[in-house]
Formats: sequence, C-alpha cells, structure tokens
Amino acid sequence: MPINLLHRHVLEDHISGFETNANPNHLSVIRRPVIFSVLAHAGYEAAVAEALRKADDIASRYCNPSEFLAVSQTAGAGSVAEFLTAIPGASFVDQSDGFVLMAISGPSVRSILSKCLAVDLHPDTFGEGHSAAMMCCHVAANVARTGPNAFELLVPRSFAGSVFDELMEAGRAHALTRGFAD
Amino acid sequence: MTSYRLGLGGEINRAQSLSFTFDGRAFKGLEGDTLASALLANDQMLMARSFKYHRPRGVVTAGSAEPNALMTIGTGVRSEPNVRATVAELYNGLVATSQNRWPSLKHDVASINDCLSPFLGAGFYYKTFMWPALFWEKLYEPLIRRAAGLGRIVMQADPDRYEKSWAHCDLLVIGAGPAGLMAALAAGRAGARVILADEGFRFGGSLLSENAVIGGMRAPDFAAGVVEELATLPNVTLMPRTTVFGWYDDMVFGAVERVQKHLASPSPDLPAERLWRIVAKRAILASGAEERPLVFGGNDKPGVMTAGAVRTYLNRYGVAVGGKVAVFTNGGSGYRTAADLVGSGVDVTAIIDTRAQSSDPVPQSVRVIRGGSVIATSGRHRIDGLIFERSGFEEVIGCDALAMSGGWSPIVHLMCQRGAKPVWSEDRQAFLAPDVGAAFVAAGSASGHSSLGDCLKDGAAKAHAALEALGRLVGHLDVPEVEGEYDSSFAPLWYVPGAKDKAFVDFQNDVHVADLGLAQREGFGHIEHTKRYTTAGMATDQGKLGNVNTAGIVAGMRGVSPAEIGTTTFRPFYAPVSFGALAGTARAEHAAPVRTSPLHGWAKKNGATFVESGLWDRSAWFTREGEKTWRESVDREVLNVRENAGLCDISTLGKIEIFGRGAAEFLDRVYSNSFLKLPVGKARYGLMLREDGVVFDDGTTSRLSDHHHVMTTTTAYAAEVLSHLEFAAQTFWPELDVRFVSSTNQWAQMSVAGPKARIVMSRIVQDDISDAAFPFLAAGEVTLRGGLRARLFRISFSGELAYELAVPAGYGEAVADAIMEAGREEGVCAYGVEAMNVLRIEKGHVTHAELEGRTTADDVGLGRLMAMQKPDFIGKRLSTRFGLTAADRLQLVGLKPVEAEKEIKAGAHLLKEQAKPSLANDQGFVSSACFSPTLGHFVALAMLKSGRERFGERIMVWDGLRGAEVLAEVCPPVFIDPQNAKLHL
Repeated sequence: MPINLLHRHVLEDHISGFETNANPNHLSVIRRPVIFSVLAHAGYEAAVAEALRKADDIASRYCNPSEFLAVSQTAGAGSVAEFLTAIPGASFVDQSDGFVLMAISGPSVRSILSKCLAVDLHPDTFGEGHSAAMMCCHVAANVARTGPNAFELLVPRSFAGSVFDELMEAGRAHALTRGFAD
Repeated sequence: MTSYRLGLGGEINRAQSLSFTFDGRAFKGLEGDTLASALLANDQMLMARSFKYHRPRGVVTAGSAEPNALMTIGTGVRSEPNVRATVAELYNGLVATSQNRWPSLKHDVASINDCLSPFLGAGFYYKTFMWPALFWEKLYEPLIRRAAGLGRIVMQADPDRYEKSWAHCDLLVIGAGPAGLMAALAAGRAGARVILADEGFRFGGSLLSENAVIGGMRAPDFAAGVVEELATLPNVTLMPRTTVFGWYDDMVFGAVERVQKHLASPSPDLPAERLWRIVAKRAILASGAEERPLVFGGNDKPGVMTAGAVRTYLNRYGVAVGGKVAVFTNGGSGYRTAADLVGSGVDVTAIIDTRAQSSDPVPQSVRVIRGGSVIATSGRHRIDGLIFERSGFEEVIGCDALAMSGGWSPIVHLMCQRGAKPVWSEDRQAFLAPDVGAAFVAAGSASGHSSLGDCLKDGAAKAHAALEALGRLVGHLDVPEVEGEYDSSFAPLWYVPGAKDKAFVDFQNDVHVADLGLAQREGFGHIEHTKRYTTAGMATDQGKLGNVNTAGIVAGMRGVSPAEIGTTTFRPFYAPVSFGALAGTARAEHAAPVRTSPLHGWAKKNGATFVESGLWDRSAWFTREGEKTWRESVDREVLNVRENAGLCDISTLGKIEIFGRGAAEFLDRVYSNSFLKLPVGKARYGLMLREDGVVFDDGTTSRLSDHHHVMTTTTAYAAEVLSHLEFAAQTFWPELDVRFVSSTNQWAQMSVAGPKARIVMSRIVQDDISDAAFPFLAAGEVTLRGGLRARLFRISFSGELAYELAVPAGYGEAVADAIMEAGREEGVCAYGVEAMNVLRIEKGHVTHAELEGRTTADDVGLGRLMAMQKPDFIGKRLSTRFGLTAADRLQLVGLKPVEAEKEIKAGAHLLKEQAKPSLANDQGFVSSACFSPTLGHFVALAMLKSGRERFGERIMVWDGLRGAEVLAEVCPPVFIDPQNAKLHL
C-alpha cells in the first residue's frame, strides 16, 4: 500500500496566521531549496571551489577551505547531484532538509543582522558574493551577501525556529515582515 | 532667593516647559535640562541622604561622576534606583523619588547615625559585631542587611525590552567634547568609518559649559556646527546617550545606549537600552578630565559643589546655584567660575585661594583671600556660611553655595581596565593614561592637556595619527583659534588642614579623612587594603570623584609621592549598567537557543512531555488518558515495547557523514575496536577513547559504500566528536584521505523497537527487511512505500528487535504518523527518553552516566572492544598504564534490591554490609537506576570495586543525601535477554 507522505517546513508553525504584504525590510523563507554539503578532498580544494563558482543555477557558499554548501532554488536535487558527481575530488551529501534558507533584505538589513552576528557586514569587508560560516543568534550558520541590502542565511533546521524568532525580534524596530517565498 | 533659573542664557529650550515631580512635589523644568539642573532651577538643593551617616546631600558635580544625587526614577515595575540626577535627561512626566531616608528626605530618622559617627568609623563592623556570637545570625546580620544597599530594587519582571548589537569601525572616539569632536571630524573628513560615542544626550562635552569663543563662534555653537557636519557624513555614526563602559580583548569595547530612558512614552518596538559591542581598529579616549573636590571640613553640605559644575549649571542650563556664592580654589578654575557668575549677575562673596599668590584675573569687586583655607561650613539642608582660616585667624563668611576646585584628574579608566596602571605625573600632579599601545590613545584633557586650544588640536592630531597607521591618506584639518581661555593650572592641596567638621574624601560611602588615617594606623596601608577597610572608592560611583584624593591623602599621611601609593584596580564597568542590557533578548524562554527535533510536532500531538537535554527539547514520556504520574506512562511504554512495539525519536543523536578512501583506516584508528574491514551494508557499535585511555564516546558507524560511512554519536557529544575527528584528521594523520560533515539536522531518525517491529516496518519499507535479507546490524538505503528514499539500520538500544529509520527531516512527522498508523493493530506506542532509559538499563547498555570521563572500556564491561592487536588507536598507549588496569578499579555491575519493593536511586554509594559510611569504606556508587516494569522491581547499574568478582554478594546501597539504606544483591549488569536472542528474531 503506497503511503502519501507530506513534507513539512519547520517554520510552518512560526509563520502562520494573517499574511501581510512585505515591508521594505522583509524576511523570506525559501520552502524547498536544494542544498548539498560538498567536501573537497586534499589537493582538490581550489578546483572544487572553481567548479562550484562556475555552476549555473547553483550558489556556492563557503564553509571552510574544503567544505562548501551548494544551494539552488531552481534546480532539482537530482540534477545538482549529477553535477556534483562530475566534479573530481568532491564528495557530497544532500542536506536540503538539514538547513533552512532565509533571505533577508531591505534598507535596515545590516542594522538588523548586527544584532544577530558579530561579523562586519560593511560592503568593503563583506561584499556581494561573499559568504562565510559564522554564529548567528548563537547558532552556527552560513551567511552570504546577495545584494547591496540583501543577505541569505542558512541555519541548521533544529535551530531554525529559535533563530527565526530572534531575527524577527531584531527586526521589530524596523517593521520587518516575514513569509514563505512562494 | 537661593538657586534659580537666570532670565537669559543656557543651552536649554525655554519655549518647552516640562513637568516632573520629586518626592511627590510638582516642578517645572525645561527641555535640555537634566533632572539635577531642573531641581536646582527650582531651588531644590537637598537631593539625597548619604549612605552611612544619612547626612543631607545635594549635587557635587554636573556629570557622570556624581556620588550624591542618586534617586529612583519611575514608578512601580518601571522604577529604577540609583539614577544619577546629573545625567538623567528631563522629560515630561518624570517621577523622581529620593532614597535612603525615612520618613522623608528632610526628616530622616537614621540621620542619628551622624551623631553616633564617633562609634561608626571604618571597620566598626569587624570590631563590634563579634560578640556575643549568638547574636550574629539572629540580630546583627538581619539588621545590617536591612541597612545595607542604596535604593530599592523592584522584584517584578522588567516589562521593557533590551537588545544587544555589534558595531565595527576604523576609529572609535569616546567622548564628544572638544578633543573628541575634532578627532571625529578629522577622521570623518578623511573617509574613515568613525563611531563617536558620548554618554550625554547632547554632543559637545565641556564646550556646552564653557564661556569661550572658537573660530569666532560661541563654544556651544561651534560644537553644534561640528556635529551638524558629522551628521552629514555617511561614514560617521553618532551615538549619543551611549556610555562606553569597558575595553576588552581584541579592541572590543562595551557600550550601553539609553535608547528610550529619556522618553515619556517609550515605543514598544524599541528597546529601553541597547548594549553595544564595538570592534574598533583604533580608538581615541577623549573622556575629558574630572575636577577634584577639595577635602575640607564640612565639604559635603548641600550647596558645596565643584567649580566646574557651578559653571555648567550656569552656562549650559542657565541656573545660578546660589544667590551668594563663595569660591574655594587652588587654581584657575575657581576664578573662572567667579568671573562667569559675576558676568551673569550672581553675587560672589569671596574667592578663598589656598595659594599665597596667583596671577588669575580677579573679577571686579570680588574679595580674594589668598593663603586661606575653609575649615568648616554651616547650615543643614543647604550651607548658609563658611569659616575660613588664614594664619591663625578665623572669619565667617555668609554664602548659600560654595564652588570648590582642587585641580583636575584626566579620566583614564578605560585605558586602565586591562592591567595597565595609570602613571603619576609630578608635573601635572595627576595620574595620566598609561601607554597601552598605538591602537588606543588618549586625547585632549584625558591625555593631560589643559587648554581648550590644545585639546582641539590634540584631538585632530591623534585622529590623523591613527588613520595614518591604518594606511589612510589624511588631509589637513584647520583647528580654529580659541579666545577667552583661562589658565586651569593649580597648586595641589590634598587635604585642607584644620577641619572643624568631617572632611569627606568619598561622598557616596561617607569616608572621611579620619577613616583613611585609621586604616593606616591599623595596618591597612596598601591602597587596595585602605579601599576595602574604609570602603573609599566602592559602590555605584567606584570612586570616580574621590579616588585620586584618597591616593593623595594617603601619600601625604605616609610622606611619599602619590606615585608610590598608586590607584586601586580599574575594572569594567566605568558606569553602572543594567542587567537588562547585559541580558539583551536572552531572557525567559529565549535565554538560550532551543533545538527542536523534526519529530517535535509528532511528539506533541501524541501527548509528549518534553525535557531539556542540552539545548534540545526531547520527548520524555507520552501521557495517556488516566495516567496520573510519569511512572505510569513510562511503565506502560516499556512493557509495550517489550510485548509489542514502540517508536522513539532519536533524531537528536549526532550524525556525521565520513567520506574518503582513508575513511575505514581513519575509523580504525579513532575507535578502539576494529573498523577497517566493516563491510558495506553493515553497522557496528564503536567505542572511542580519549588519548589518556579513558572512554570518550560511543555510537555506531555504518558503511554505506566503499568510501562513505555514517557515524552516530551520543546526543551530548555530537559536536565534541566532530571536533575530535577533525582534530585527528588534520593533525595526527593528514595523509589519510578523509572528510567529515555533520548531517544531524538532515535526518529525522526514529527507533522502532519491539517483537512486532518488523511487521510494522514492513508495511512502511518497500525493501525486503526479513531477518535473512536485513539481519541484525544491517545498514543501508531503502525506499519507503510511496517512493521516499531513507536510511535503515538494524540496531537496538532497547534489547529488542529494532530498526532505526532515518528520513529527510521535513518528512519526519509524516513518516512517524504513518508508522503509528501502520502499527495500530500491533499496538505500537510512542515512547520517550525515560522509557528508553529504562529499556537500556534493563539491557545493561551504558550511556554517559557510566561513560563519565573516568571509566575505561574494561571498567564498563567493554574490554572486548579493545582491539590491542591493531598497531595503534587513540588511547591505546595510555590504556595499559598501571592506574587504568588496577585490580580494584570500579567495574560495572547490576544491582537488585534484596527486598523487592525497595527503591534504589542513582547517586547512592555502596558499602559492605555493616560497614560504616566513610570514604575509606566506599565501595562504589549507583550510576543509573530505575523501576523495571518488566521485572517488577528496581534495577540499577553501579560501579563497584572489583565488581565482576562479586556477583551474588549483598551490598548496602547507602543514600546519605536522601537518608535511605537498601540492601541489594550484586549481579551481572544485563537483566533482560543476556543471550541476545531477541536481537536476532
């Protein structure tokens, strides 16, 4: 007997009730991104980084010299896995359910994030395309700058509710709104 | 008329009147006032009672160092004690209440202490409350505790919000006075990222209080012009109402911003206060200098204040502190105050100068008494006169305020908070900032400059030097000329001899000169001892005003230079910071991040009670209708797992993906047992040791493909094990090709255990999971009915036939629901960590209750997992040392009570029958215990000396803490299915 299994986003209980329109400062939760951990074996670090950088439809997030997160909001898990298989010296594992992807943007985004993380997000030090592993609301997260006033956060799923609540609290003075991207 | 608002002048908005109350009386102030200036404008000089003697006090300063004018602001749950009236910004509706008095500020019963003061000198506690010993607990301590403390704290939860934030800059400028403003301007114009922080609500510092002309502009207008320009620079962040209170490692500064403390109706969306961690590449301390009080008889009466404070009230707030003001000075500041007062039409009765000669300009028609000393003041709630002495001749002068100036001390606290001591300068007769490296320097009067022009120049120069060191190009900043400067030099006089009343050094703690003398006589000569013995420099102001005088006076008493005495240790915080600000948002349920399992929702709807386990919320048990105690639920769950099947959430276990051609070899070296030849499709229990041979953690590792393993760790050690693996791979064996990543969050993992587990699971899993196809310790990828890919492991912690199923976290709840549905007929139940614990104790499996950092593999009965034939593994070498192999080590055993109904509790100690409880007789302890519903009595795991040789022996379980003694029988630690038949069903 086949079983119909429903996927459930961990933040569904946090984002409920009457949906408002997005304000200039907005936190958007991507419902089903594809996320893979990519590990570069010794000697292949630069090549793996370069292959990921060049990939279409995949954003590469830097974790450490031999670890990356490959994130896609458009490609399917199968095609990403296929792409990763072809990279010499790379091992990978699907972590699409292991992380929650949040995009936060707006004129006050740096003020909001400065309450959550200790890293200097000035464009001179953390420019567009930059990503790094850092503590966000006391949780190990990966933060990337995707625009002048736009960032993406990857947060471990088990901590996502806690981090989400903290982000909303930090954004309260800036009228931060939130919702699923779809 | 005593103190009053002048008709003209001041940096206040005379068009905006503000209402406030003090001790219930209604007053009016003006926008731009502090609470202190507004009270003075209303002729309210009496503001507080001193701590120990309950003497009437007014304000001494107009700034942050204020020791006297502490009050409670606000009402009810929002009342805040010990607010300094001199820095509290006035707002409409402010309610202030005086402290430390009863029944009223004017008539305070406890002022009797002042009459008893001959008996209450420094150290009186230590000498007085020693006998009779019986009185201490019942009488003395409660009385002293009642009298102790300043202000009353509110015991309800704080309704306000607080938050914390980080900031980063090239240059942090602390203080927005003349030097700070010029530093910020110089750096701001050069394009550097600048943060300018000042604790005042208006930038300008002393420029707002001084009657000088800068570049043709009044000093306050000049300051306003600079601030206006700074505000237009996008690279400059202005932070008013922000006290930088600490300097920490790596150039991190702590600061607190009072976001809404000055608002009558604060916004619920903003915090009351915000704590800043400011990371600065360079920093300039432009905190200015503090004017020292003179230490003379009666120097604490309301109406006596520093000359600079008198100028501030006059020039900035348009308030004359008295109608007839006398000045007592040892330098130019007193003369400048007299001139400003005369210029505003206030009567100055006399300038008493401690020096025999001086060239300071004397305002017209003001009497100057050179070489004079004030020896006493008269008046109670405000002075009404003073007695001065010159060459043996005493004279009384009438006055209603007395401006005193004892010279200047640079404010160097922040630079001394990391070990460096301030340096005494004979030349300047002050402690100057120590050299703490080029990254943090003092500028302006904080660095010992005394003229306004020098301070402006120094600020700009220090900023340029800081930027050049950062490799930035800087231009030239024209520093404007200053007109109307005065000579602020002084001739130090630490103590004015001949005092006829107490001469206070520390106003807040009522420490007077005689106390310092007593401390020297009684052997508390070191300045740190003097502080502790007399309390000079303690409490909320931490001696900001008095400490330098204390050092000077102690130096004088001992006939040495203040350089030899030094100062007490400077530590954060420079000024009091509320706990609310330090906690930020981390309060109540937000005190720490919470981790929730993918099966949290499933557990909730199945009636789970959760338990905090590290940061995780774990389901502890699942209450069903009619169950009144947790034990009823747990017993039912255990029995059901043993008879039918149960589902337990084990998503919290650490999961680590291990890749690489060297992975098998690597695992073989980090585990004590063999892993090199673990076949693909198999799981194995593994034990990790620390380097010292003691057990570190346990778990299972499964081989999913040749070069891909997945490891599970205990919940508690997930992060530690990953670090351990990374450390070993990067430093011990970099030649091994191995990579790790945690996948703990990716998987919802559930254990389905019990004799009917296979029936239930086969309705979920599409693959063949018969014992033949998927035997005990099989592991691999499977497909669920419906197509979802999952991982399945045949591993058992409960001792039953069991499967661990891992599915992508987002499907966890749906899959758990499906299993519950599929096993409805078989009676599958949800079980929590409590039942899991009972099941594993019954089975004799160890957890960190046994693997607690002292036990070896052999101690816990896992000696067979020490594969000594391997060339090496972590912990192998040290595992054979004598201490770890001694015959009388504690070994894991089982215990069952001799009388079946008796209860054994974890933590109890073991004694031979009849032996007296003592360390020498200690035989071991109970590590885990529970009621076994399967056996119908308590069972326990224990660590017992040479335990495995003692099966059958009766032993006393002695629980001294809870007062219980239970006779138990020592037995093997496996209570259920010792042949492991159930595992292979």
